[in-house]
Amino acid sequence: MPMLSILLLIPFAGALALVLWPGQLAPGRLRAVALVVLGLQLAWSLMVLARFDPSSSAMQLQESLPWVSGLGLEYRLGVDGLSMPLVLINAALTLVSAICTRDISQRPRLYFALVLLISGAVNGAFLAENLLLFFLFYELELIPLWALISIWGGANRSYAATKFLIFTAVSGMLILGAFLGLALATGTVDFSLTPVSSERLAMGTQLFLLGALLIGFGIKVPLFPFHNWLPDAHTQASTPVSVLLAGVLLKLGTYGLLRFCLGLFPEAWAQLAPGLAIWAAVSVLFGSLAAIAQKDMKRMVAYSSVGHMGYILLAAAAATPVAILGAVFQMVSHGLISALLFLLVGIVYRKTGTRDLTVLHGLLNPERGLPFTGTLMILGVMASAGMPGMAGFISEFMVFRGSISAYPLATLLSMLGSGLTAVYFLLLVNRAFFGRLAITPVTDPVTHGRLDVQLAPVAPRETIPATGLAMAVVAIGLLPAGLGRLSESTSTAIAQLPALVSALQLASGPLLGLQAGGLG
Amino acid sequence: MSAPSLSLPIQLVWMIPLYGFSGMLLSLPWAAGWFKRNGPRPAAYLNLLVTLLAVIHGSWILQQVWQLGPQHLEFAWFQAADLNLRIGFDLSLTNLAALELVTGLSLLGQVYALGYLDKEWSLARFYALVGFFEGALAGVVLSSSLFMSYFLLEMLTLSTYLLVGFWYAQPLVVTAARDAFLTKRVGDVLLLMGMVALSAWAGSMEFQDLYVWAAEADASGALTPLAGTLLGLGLIAGPMGKCAQFPMHLWLDEAMEGPNPASILRNSVVVTAGALVLMKVMPLLRFSPLATSVLLVVGTISAVGGALVAIAQVDIKRAFSYSTTSYLGLVFIAIALQQPAIALLLLFAHGLSKALLFMSVGSIIATTNCQDLTELGGLGSRMPATTSAYLVGSAGLLGLLPLGCFWCFGLLVDTFAHQQPFFAAVCLLTNALTAFNLTRVYRHVFLGQAMPKTKRAPEVNWLMALPMVSLTVLVALMPALMARLDPVPGIASFSLPVAIAVVSSGLLGVAGGAVAPLHKFWSRSLVQPLRVLQDLLASDFYTDRIYRATIVAAVAGLARLSDWLDTRVVNGLVNGIGRLSLASADGLKLGVSGQLQSYLLTVVLAIVLLLASLQWLQWLHG
Repeated sequence: MPMLSILLLIPFAGALALVLWPGQLAPGRLRAVALVVLGLQLAWSLMVLARFDPSSSAMQLQESLPWVSGLGLEYRLGVDGLSMPLVLINAALTLVSAICTRDISQRPRLYFALVLLISGAVNGAFLAENLLLFFLFYELELIPLWALISIWGGANRSYAATKFLIFTAVSGMLILGAFLGLALATGTVDFSLTPVSSERLAMGTQLFLLGALLIGFGIKVPLFPFHNWLPDAHTQASTPVSVLLAGVLLKLGTYGLLRFCLGLFPEAWAQLAPGLAIWAAVSVLFGSLAAIAQKDMKRMVAYSSVGHMGYILLAAAAATPVAILGAVFQMVSHGLISALLFLLVGIVYRKTGTRDLTVLHGLLNPERGLPFTGTLMILGVMASAGMPGMAGFISEFMVFRGSISAYPLATLLSMLGSGLTAVYFLLLVNRAFFGRLAITPVTDPVTHGRLDVQLAPVAPRETIPATGLAMAVVAIGLLPAGLGRLSESTSTAIAQLPALVSALQLASGPLLGLQAGGLG
Repeated sequence: MSAPSLSLPIQLVWMIPLYGFSGMLLSLPWAAGWFKRNGPRPAAYLNLLVTLLAVIHGSWILQQVWQLGPQHLEFAWFQAADLNLRIGFDLSLTNLAALELVTGLSLLGQVYALGYLDKEWSLARFYALVGFFEGALAGVVLSSSLFMSYFLLEMLTLSTYLLVGFWYAQPLVVTAARDAFLTKRVGDVLLLMGMVALSAWAGSMEFQDLYVWAAEADASGALTPLAGTLLGLGLIAGPMGKCAQFPMHLWLDEAMEGPNPASILRNSVVVTAGALVLMKVMPLLRFSPLATSVLLVVGTISAVGGALVAIAQVDIKRAFSYSTTSYLGLVFIAIALQQPAIALLLLFAHGLSKALLFMSVGSIIATTNCQDLTELGGLGSRMPATTSAYLVGSAGLLGLLPLGCFWCFGLLVDTFAHQQPFFAAVCLLTNALTAFNLTRVYRHVFLGQAMPKTKRAPEVNWLMALPMVSLTVLVALMPALMARLDPVPGIASFSLPVAIAVVSSGLLGVAGGAVAPLHKFWSRSLVQPLRVLQDLLASDFYTDRIYRATIVAAVAGLARLSDWLDTRVVNGLVNGIGRLSLASADGLKLGVSGQLQSYLLTVVLAIVLLLASLQWLQWLHG
């Protein structure tokens, strides 16, 4: 049975069905359909997980079908320890994002169809084993997301959406350019995931192509200084879209770093790695410092993403088995934690009408405030700050542990960034959740002194998705062995890639041998 | 690994931290307000029950270890590539004694809290937090690996933050909780750096393996001096934060804004746990003479400075929290000078005595609703149990009467007198200053005329009195306990002149405190130089202002700079480019929105480019 194609088919068919279904459908009915489709997708992802053999580092459950063979475009899917957790995260978080989409009145049919389309495209990108196929899915996810921001976004949505579009379009062009350049330089239209050795391609060309890919994926991740689109996109996007964007779509960038930058050009990567480690540290520190200065809760969480994605670049630069595994962990845990934080910020925004940290005070108030949301928020920010017992800690620990021997300075600076995370998130909790309940700026003493603030209570069903995510964050933090087993052999294989390629080259063995070795 | 011959209680040692954590989970339904009918008391009872189980289980293990000798148990937790993280328990007499201290004081503190927080609406939340706190503490004292110690120390940081922030609606509590978390977090991040480096170098995280590695690395010179020094500084930073040592002492005094039962535990067992971790990393400091010197300097400043600052406080809880900093400074000195046995005794004696003092203080606060020394007075005749608790606690803390700390001071002074007379003098000075402080507070609170707030001051209810009186008896019997803990060479193995020196320093302090002028209204001296000194001490050498002017200002400045860079420079650049491209797209506008079209155009162009180049490629090779 084509396990992986069905994983693509479910959301795409769902999206098509939603669009083509005749007659008027109530928004609630549309949401129910989307939930069923996404539930099916999650179930099927778990089926794939059951079929997945974690002891092997090779691509599994492969499917291939020649598509446009003249172009080297081949429909070729496979899953390994790097993509498996991401596919699961995608299924889970898209479901969460659909669950937390409630009162949608404006064009609900299109909305849910786009969400399904994104989820399918992301699945495709994670599973694609052909560069062009990856690119197609990578681009396919862009337009729906752009539409989600520009139609259902906040007041300044067209600016944010356009910015997002320009940045990611440039990212796509760079990636496509690099892929084509690779074909051009090697003179073959083979777009498979075979690592390039310096015997086959001069180092200068490799570095050039890798540079294009790095910037391309660096925009998507995002890394400083290409992160500029992210805070605006997040602040203007609605909560479910932010969950998707932070939880799933940013992972396309980090996945690209590991799979295509490191995976295609292991030798050039090893040459650039010291610089990349410094870049990672700069990105971490910049994201964390900029987050401290933010007054909008959502912007703060967005900048924290810039910081936390930097760890993944650090780990990829070090490219030791522990670091790469840490990177996979960090992708999963950042996906869960940032989704959790955006959900909670969304609840606060819905109940108070603002996300301004200078206006919100004392939300933890037991009867009139948002005590349960506040409790989850404390849990979420602590997880993000790397508190042991939650997913963030073990991920960061592995990233740092795997990187410190190779790049001590960059690693120590990144740890400093981890300390800064505690600073800004503590400020968030202290300002917005501690103190006396008030939804007014302190500078306005008359209204600030009012004692009769009463927020609408949060219904239990509103916090169910957040509670589920919080439980997952704690579960991974306490029992990381499951995820570790899932990804260990693949991450070890990725880490050995640079050495493997150089060794093979010395022996001038057949390049085909690589196919068995790692990613091919 | 757990040998099959080990008895069941020892094999089940992993349950000990879980008692506390399960207490937290059991309290959740009441803390979250799901069960409202019978009030939050059941959560407290459940917590008391699991803590009692922890005490019983711990004593059982202690009794068995007493017969079998130290045991070590390990369980696999997470393994990947060359990373192997295990959960390990070191069941030595020292660790188990510390466990008894932790669980025992936690039990007493929880009974006490039942009385102290009688009318607190969120009692269940308090107990949930205390359960979390106790679980982490119990794990830290038993842990046999640096990783697990760090793991639990951080959890302790979190629970301290939440306990200090218990009454989160008050502005002072908010800043106190923030400072408690951030100060400790600074220490923790530095400790994390040290730990990560050690993990990469040594592989294993078990303390025993680390000692072996350190000996080998030291012999082979595998570590550069710089790396060794940084490692040492990182490792001591965590315990420094936990033990509220200078310059990370700020949080403990602010933490006094939290509920008193938590202060009891914080001033006795949390600091003890921090010091125990320091003791365990001590053999790893052999690469770093600087770290040892830092420990000595920090210990000395904390001991003397803390004792001085304590004297200038008018808040009764703060007066004693600074004294905790001061005593832990002595512990740091003892550890740095390779006297772990004395350090342990001092931790034990200080922990119990300080807990008793804080119970007494809690009784005063609960009865009078007042923490200001200048508004208290004449309680001695009104609250006999509280007064005796205060007196016995003070005696246990001082080198004057033959209770707990007297013997510790004797041992310390005797050990240091010949080689390091300076530190012997520091001990005596600390003793004298503490005696001064305790006497001063005693005069303020218990002697003199009754004040408006102390006129009607009945003794506290039995829920508070019971643990307080039990602990009073325990502190009175402390020398016997200490003699059992440390039979060789005996707690009295110091010379008579040393004993005389200790007693006279204590007497001097008491006499000073007894004759020093105490004004209720002119508590701030009118003599200018004295007033400056008093202000300096009362505001803790202006440490918070120094922080605000340096680190806080630096981080805030960098944050503003980053933000400026982002919004002005990067964003400005992007907007400029964006305007250009949009302007060119304007011409292509056909329908409602030009942006969609421009995007479609880009995509079409890209695809055309793709096809063309591929065709060209094929043609090239075809």
